[in-house]
Amino acid sequence: MENAGQLRRQYVDFVASLYHEGFLDDQFGQLQKLQDEGNPYFVVEVVSLYFEDSEKLMNNLTTALQQHVVDFKQIDAHVHQFKGSSSSIGAQRVKNTCVVFRDYCEEKNLDGCLKCLQQVKHEYYIVKNKLETMIRLERQILEAGGTIP
Amino acid sequence: MGDSEIEICRNIGDQKKQRQDLHVLAVDDSRLDRKLLERLLTVSSYQVTFVDSGDKALEYLGLIDNIDEENQYQTSSSSPKSSLHDKLQVSKINLIMTDYSMPGISGFDLLKKVKDSFWRDIPVVIMSSENLPSRINMCLEGGAEDFLLKPVKLSDLRKLHSHLLNSHCQKQDKDSIKYKENTTLLETRPLPVLSMN
Repeated sequence: MENAGQLRRQYVDFVASLYHEGFLDDQFGQLQKLQDEGNPYFVVEVVSLYFEDSEKLMNNLTTALQQHVVDFKQIDAHVHQFKGSSSSIGAQRVKNTCVVFRDYCEEKNLDGCLKCLQQVKHEYYIVKNKLETMIRLERQILEAGGTIP
Repeated sequence: MGDSEIEICRNIGDQKKQRQDLHVLAVDDSRLDRKLLERLLTVSSYQVTFVDSGDKALEYLGLIDNIDEENQYQTSSSSPKSSLHDKLQVSKINLIMTDYSMPGISGFDLLKKVKDSFWRDIPVVIMSSENLPSRINMCLEGGAEDFLLKPVKLSDLRKLHSHLLNSHCQKQDKDSIKYKENTTLLETRPLPVLSMN
């Protein structure tokens, strides 16, 4: 059983890598700043909302791209939303993929859109995994009697 | 501006109290962005009412009559064509913050409707994730107080608050500023449209 000190170090290194590898940008730090003792679950709540919204959006995108006649305007609207929420949470790679995705929508490039859908799902599941790991580490630190750095 | 007025304007205690008097109507269709904005505004000591569409905002402001539905924002004694005084009492909004892109009426449409109404003196701030100069100019020329790029940060709200405070102080005449308990900071006084820094 790791002690609080070891867990804290692990956490610091892990979070640093997320920024370093571009999964998260400064906006995530802004979210953490808004959390305090009075609102200790703010980040977890925002992240949960992001997961919920994202699953819905990706389902909508998958369905929309399977239609006989593809409605690129509708797809662009979904991607715009996904870009917005990813930007609000600091999920940089997902956001950047959405930017490319929107360009393909404007070009009405179905192939490009399908590729981007795959890419955006890929990026989303990676960042989801990373965020869940981060939240788990935070919980472990607290359970070990430590404070989150 | 006299020294005593400057002192009152700059006094942090007063600023905090003034902020607590400020009631923001926030309009955004995104749950996530509403949650974020709620936290930002609460941390900045604003009182917030949220709606998730431009239409609901108009309803809240009494700019759409809902004769058939029970309108929770009007007092039971008021008719749909309630007096201006009633409208002021019911909503007491000091600031409107709205997203630009929403299903239904856009933030810009909402801005125009507000500026054409009884609420025209209330500052309207538009938020958007898209940094488009043409959009920004259109909103500012349409009467928006400010245009904020999403994601909105605490520093944006701090700047906005000093904008609002400064323009209010500049508009004061030679009489000294008295902040009464129930007086909202931004009364029905026209505020200049500020260009973005």
